[in-house]
Amino acid sequence: MGDEPSPARSGFDPAMAGRRAECDGGGPIAGTRFAGRQEFTGTLTGEYVDHGDPPWRWYLLVDLSRKPEGYPGDAVWCESGSLFILDD
Amino acid sequence: MAKDPLRTKLCDMLGIEFPIIAFTHCKDVAVAVINAGAFAVLGEAMHTPEEIAADIKWIRERVNGKPFGIDLILPASVPPADTLEQLIAKIPDTHRNFAQSIKERYNVPDPKGPIALHQWGGLNQEMARAQLDVVLEERAPVFTSGLGNPAFILEAAHARGIKVFGLIGKTRQAKRELEAGVDAIIAQGYDAAGHTGAMGTFSIVPEVVSIAGDTPIIAAGGVTTGRHLAATLCLGAAGVWTGTLWLASRESDVDMIVKEKLLAATAEDTSYSRCISGMTMRTLKCPWTEEWARPEAPLPLSAPYQMLLSSDYIQGANDHRREDLMTEAAGQGVAFVTTMKPARQIVFDMVEEALAAFEELTGETL
Repeated sequence: MGDEPSPARSGFDPAMAGRRAECDGGGPIAGTRFAGRQEFTGTLTGEYVDHGDPPWRWYLLVDLSRKPEGYPGDAVWCESGSLFILDD
Repeated sequence: MAKDPLRTKLCDMLGIEFPIIAFTHCKDVAVAVINAGAFAVLGEAMHTPEEIAADIKWIRERVNGKPFGIDLILPASVPPADTLEQLIAKIPDTHRNFAQSIKERYNVPDPKGPIALHQWGGLNQEMARAQLDVVLEERAPVFTSGLGNPAFILEAAHARGIKVFGLIGKTRQAKRELEAGVDAIIAQGYDAAGHTGAMGTFSIVPEVVSIAGDTPIIAAGGVTTGRHLAATLCLGAAGVWTGTLWLASRESDVDMIVKEKLLAATAEDTSYSRCISGMTMRTLKCPWTEEWARPEAPLPLSAPYQMLLSSDYIQGANDHRREDLMTEAAGQGVAFVTTMKPARQIVFDMVEEALAAFEELTGETL
């Protein structure tokens, strides 16, 4: 920790690839002081990014079968602690 | 002699007199609440790391060693990156035209300067990490995660003597965070201001208490009176998390126009909608929320697109202090916020009312 920006490192976890998962997502609402929740269901590609130290891991969820109304894409990065694997 | 029902394990953990947590964005409110014997958490999600460090120092200098908390919003999902221009280009014309029609119908003024949303540009993991690093470096006594699972930071926080609380809207989120070892869980119900889950406070609190063991559970959502405090303790909570209660306090830096709207509002004056941000949040009703609730309105877009649409209205209303247009996040307990009192008085009134409620139930003098 310090003045340097936290490093981000990409990787691939074969154990996660192809697994169906739900993401209890959301985040800060730009321009306000508040947060909002968003929920997704999809398939993990196995790709991940670790932000900073200790690592904060994010997985890529694609082929979204559930996403917020109006969400334009078919992919979302999900924080690992907010992911729930469906076939567990 | 009867046990003091307000002396809970949360009080013991934090060394506070009353199991009341004020969630506020105003430092003066936080300090007043802490010095009255309760606990306060300062919402710093929209602040830079430098501002957070300065605020921690400012509070420390005024609370004589008493603990306090810093709240950040940890993102839990992030769309693949787009530039602002790419985002704006994806907004459909139907939605653009609808927003413009509201602007014309209500004579909404243009913002006085560039829209703050467009300048901040930090809604990502890197920004949250930088904010979090400051909380760790400054060793704020308590870190609360207003959204998102703080498990990844627990070990580093505990190594620095920082307690970590997680705010949840679903029981499975609480289970995950309890297994990780958070120090307390804030179980937030649908009644709350801002973002909420689908479960009511009366349901989610006992459900989370039932799986929490000795970990304190803090009830959030619609809590604005001592009777609410007493009720949540009966549900098994160890304290309450309150936000709306402080918005119209004497010390609060909320615009006086909004304070007056809050004092006049009831639960029916709040709106639970995606129309401001694309994510559901509870706010005071205003022309923007009412127009998007009409049957002929298009469905609100997802975040961040809907916020890009609404930001012009919101900032125009705020910049020009248009009472008829302004809004603020508010929980359903807003009906009980009826007078502008000092924060210290709010704490004492809540305590007295809770004790009176327990006396009424038990017939004992506390």
